[in-house]
Amino acid sequence: MTKEQRLIKRHRAEKRFQFYGLLSIFIALLFVLVLVSNIFSKGSSAFMKTVIKTEVFYDQELLEIENGASRDDIISTDFFDVTIESLLEVFPTNGLEEEKQLINLFSTDVELEIKSVFLKNNNIIGQKIILELTASDDIDQLHKGNYPRDLPEERRRISDFQLKIFDQLVEDGKIKKNFNNYYFTKGDSRDPELAGIGGALVGSLYSILICLILSFPIAVLASIYLEEFAPKNKITEFIEININNLAAVPSIVYGLLALQILLSTIHLPRSTPLVAGITLALMTLPRIIIPCRASLKAVPPSIREGALAVGASKFQSVFHHVVPLALPGTLSGTIIGLAQALGETAPLILIGMVAFVVDIPASPIDPSASLPVQVYLWSESAERGFVEKTSATIMILLSFLIVMNFLAVYLRQKFEKRWN
Amino acid sequence: MNLALIFLITIFSFSLFFYGRSKSKSLSIENNYKLNALPKFYGYYLVLWCSLPSLVFLLVWTLFEPTIIKSIILKIAADQGVVMQDQNAANLIYEKIKAVYLGTYFGDVDILLKESSLSYAKFKNIFTNSKIVLIFVIVISSIIYALKKIKSNNKARDDVEIILKGLLFISSLIAILTTLGIIFSLLFESIKFFSVINIFDYLFGTNWSPQRAFVRDASSITAAEYEDLKDAFGFVPLIAGTAFIAFIAMLVAVPVGLFSGIYMAEYATKKIRKVSKPIIEILAGIPTVVYGFFAALTVGPFFRQIGENFGLTVSSESALAAGLIMGIMIIPYISSLSDDVINSVPQSLRDGSYAIGATKSETIKKVVIPAALPGIIGSILLAVSRAIGETMIVVMAAGLAANLTINPLDSTTTITTQIVMILIGDQEFDSPKTQSAFALGLTLFIATLILNYIALRVVKKYREKYD
Amino acid sequence: MKHVKIKSKNLNVFYGEKQALFDVNLDLNEKEVTALIGPSGCGKSTFIRCINRMNDVIDICKISGTIEMDGVDINNKNLDVVSLRERVGMVFQKPNPFPKSIYDNISYGPKIHGKGETKSELDAIVENSLKKAALWEEVKDRLDEPGTSLSGGQQQRLCIARAISVNPEVILMDEPCSALDPIATAKIEELIDELKETYTIVIVTHSMAQAVRVSQKTGFFHLGKLIEVGKTEKIFKNPDNKMTQDYITGRFG
Repeated sequence: MTKEQRLIKRHRAEKRFQFYGLLSIFIALLFVLVLVSNIFSKGSSAFMKTVIKTEVFYDQELLEIENGASRDDIISTDFFDVTIESLLEVFPTNGLEEEKQLINLFSTDVELEIKSVFLKNNNIIGQKIILELTASDDIDQLHKGNYPRDLPEERRRISDFQLKIFDQLVEDGKIKKNFNNYYFTKGDSRDPELAGIGGALVGSLYSILICLILSFPIAVLASIYLEEFAPKNKITEFIEININNLAAVPSIVYGLLALQILLSTIHLPRSTPLVAGITLALMTLPRIIIPCRASLKAVPPSIREGALAVGASKFQSVFHHVVPLALPGTLSGTIIGLAQALGETAPLILIGMVAFVVDIPASPIDPSASLPVQVYLWSESAERGFVEKTSATIMILLSFLIVMNFLAVYLRQKFEKRWN
Repeated sequence: MNLALIFLITIFSFSLFFYGRSKSKSLSIENNYKLNALPKFYGYYLVLWCSLPSLVFLLVWTLFEPTIIKSIILKIAADQGVVMQDQNAANLIYEKIKAVYLGTYFGDVDILLKESSLSYAKFKNIFTNSKIVLIFVIVISSIIYALKKIKSNNKARDDVEIILKGLLFISSLIAILTTLGIIFSLLFESIKFFSVINIFDYLFGTNWSPQRAFVRDASSITAAEYEDLKDAFGFVPLIAGTAFIAFIAMLVAVPVGLFSGIYMAEYATKKIRKVSKPIIEILAGIPTVVYGFFAALTVGPFFRQIGENFGLTVSSESALAAGLIMGIMIIPYISSLSDDVINSVPQSLRDGSYAIGATKSETIKKVVIPAALPGIIGSILLAVSRAIGETMIVVMAAGLAANLTINPLDSTTTITTQIVMILIGDQEFDSPKTQSAFALGLTLFIATLILNYIALRVVKKYREKYD
Repeated sequence: MKHVKIKSKNLNVFYGEKQALFDVNLDLNEKEVTALIGPSGCGKSTFIRCINRMNDVIDICKISGTIEMDGVDINNKNLDVVSLRERVGMVFQKPNPFPKSIYDNISYGPKIHGKGETKSELDAIVENSLKKAALWEEVKDRLDEPGTSLSGGQQQRLCIARAISVNPEVILMDEPCSALDPIATAKIEELIDELKETYTIVIVTHSMAQAVRVSQKTGFFHLGKLIEVGKTEKIFKNPDNKMTQDYITGRFG
């Protein structure tokens, strides 16, 4: 090979090498794009729910109460007959089977919806009012275009008769989409159209709050001790090794720890944000200690010496002068640690948060789910309707995380002093 | 009730601050001596002594009270003739007793149950009253002690600082406590497990099917039942599955991560770096449950579809899908660590290579990477440790069948998946099945500990060379 | 009359907004040692880094003017910088052996330039380079040991051997002895004296005594300008420029 040939070969190798590097970065970016667009396209439909405009007749003959009835009376009254009668008016039916199919077009909760209108306005007996009632999950998915229509009837969840009704309703303009308030306000449900993240949202909130309250002070105090006061002996070294290890222990091991000690030994209530918060706090401790120590280490000795020189005690120099300067880095590390805690699923599954919880938890010792656990639970369900709900929940979870990460980076950039 | 106590103690202590401060001032004026510290420190001193001992006492008491009461009540019940076959039955009965006490029990209440609930009420009262009295005593004696010291004009600032330093030290002990907690919880159940299942049957067994372990109480296993059982807890297929999926993940993550890290450290302009570094960090911040969902819903079926088009049978929970997604999750770990490690190779080495007439890629391949190699290997080891400890991606996208296979189109299961599957749903205490989850956890913990230790040692030695 | 190996014409160098060299015109003769002296930060290192285009590594560095080697402009876009550096070697201020064995340190250059295909060829090159750098006797029995296990002076000679291994025509030396003790320095200066028989050498130095000892031609730089250049003897005995005179007599720098 001549010299020139060799040079050309080497320069080609150089170009190839650069290309591989750029390609790798591109692959990573591409994946993020694919993931986000996939989730987004699946999840955005969850924020709307299909409703059917139905004329509801508050027939006096079918109700046992009068206009002006008290709230308690209304709640205990049965609106079932009013509901069925009004629904059956929507389309002519022939026989019990077709009636059942018609009723099934609506969500199982419509009786409650009809009742709650009466609660708001308790003198509408005898009136016919057009309400927008929530459609069943199957109609919801059909209307959103997620069900293929060209399958033979036995393989469909919707019968031919139901399709006929649906098409008629669409033609009459009686089917539309409303904002899905249920998604945000309700807890879990077996029916996808009624399922919401209300419970999981509050559960996550409580858990993260407890995690923050427990982990932040202890982590900061421990960091201050290790960085400023601890003598350089075997015990300190041992503590440091422990912290580095704990940061790398798989999260499921923390779940086992919580199961054994928090639940079996101390008998804390299962499936509650309290236990979740304590578990997450244990996990987050090392994740706060490590950046906090780094920030403390970065403060130059001249600051400490300056304080000592005016007669402050070591304690005062640390707390009045060093710690405030280390605060931006510490806070940003804390926010990132909390963001990771927010997304944790495995340990929470082990402490029982996979229970089916319908109510929104009123306090941290009520059983609840958390956002990522809710994602897991819904992804295991067979109904198509849960796919969009799961994706939407992921969108919300990711939004929280993006905001938190931005906040952390912003804090660090704006407030951190660079000691050059 | 505890919250009220904490609240009271806190309010009371804080009000004592003002008393302590003014008392020290007045004492110094009365007896004509100079205070050894600023008055406010005497206030702090009093607050700390009033609040800390009592709060600690309250915490310890609250932690242990339920267990102690439970064992007392159960003993009394047993003495009175209540039949409890095993731990599970005992727990059930205790729950009934508590429910009767709370008034939420709707079954038949027989005499024994009623008496037990009355005992429960009695003891609960005794304990609560003792708790309040003891707290009172502790608070009063603490205050007396503190006031005595104040009267003797102690160096309050120093004393306060010593107490605070003690608090700092205890905070840092929490790290050790956590580790001890982990080891304890894992060992406790694992020892019970290994007393039933021989550790060699566990480590070298090739069959994992814990559903067969119907036995409820470990101490009552017959020899015949054991013959059946000992084949059910073989660890080998689990470590094989875990290693296989981790291997596939590394096949993806190492080249992509390494090349990204190299490109960002050596070639990328400021603009490219500014955009790509945060986006790659995003990959690290996405919760693994999201990856798992994507893998289970989109990637797995997609591979199966493609496989069908080529006439292959691909499981919708293939190791390939799970491994691929796990690999993508791991990319940022390798790329940012490699980025850091490569950046810390001194420029003088590169200059020496350029000066000889090497191209940039030759310099990177032959001088920079070899110099950075320990650090890169360390980052790969840490990534492997992350891969084998990963749970959600495999729970959602990998299978449940513990089969030994090297076909990436098959489904296989991992250690973490099994831990979750065993512990989801009703757990029977003292069954080898539940205990096996802890044995798995212990194995996982030890494996990741060793990997992390080696990785950190390697990276540390590398840093020492260049810092 | 010596042949001019390297010639700079109106060379200006900018680091971003800051100008480091102003209009430098300097001829370097072949097979001769030229010393560049001047106070810290006056541009000497910048100048020699232009000769092997090491300044290309620095993004914000811009140059105008030309540098020619054997009559060819080295900043020409068509000239491959990789082959330029094969012809112009460099030894740095702080010895920077690769964290490889002594053998691999020397064989690295020849290998990438395709100068030694078989093991015996490489062995010969390694032995040759180490002998020329007066290091062979000291390391011939431990070629497998890491280059970083040598003493400071030995490391620098290793770097010189490395530079020689690709058979350059010019060797640039940027204060090669400033990190070494007097004995090691003496050894290197001895070496430079031998090397000038084969290679053109440019040496940047802080020590005027060193310049006197090793060089035949000296250039004095101050604040980015080449103040005076000429035979070493002349520069140090009776320079033309007053600033040169002040520097040599220690009035500044």
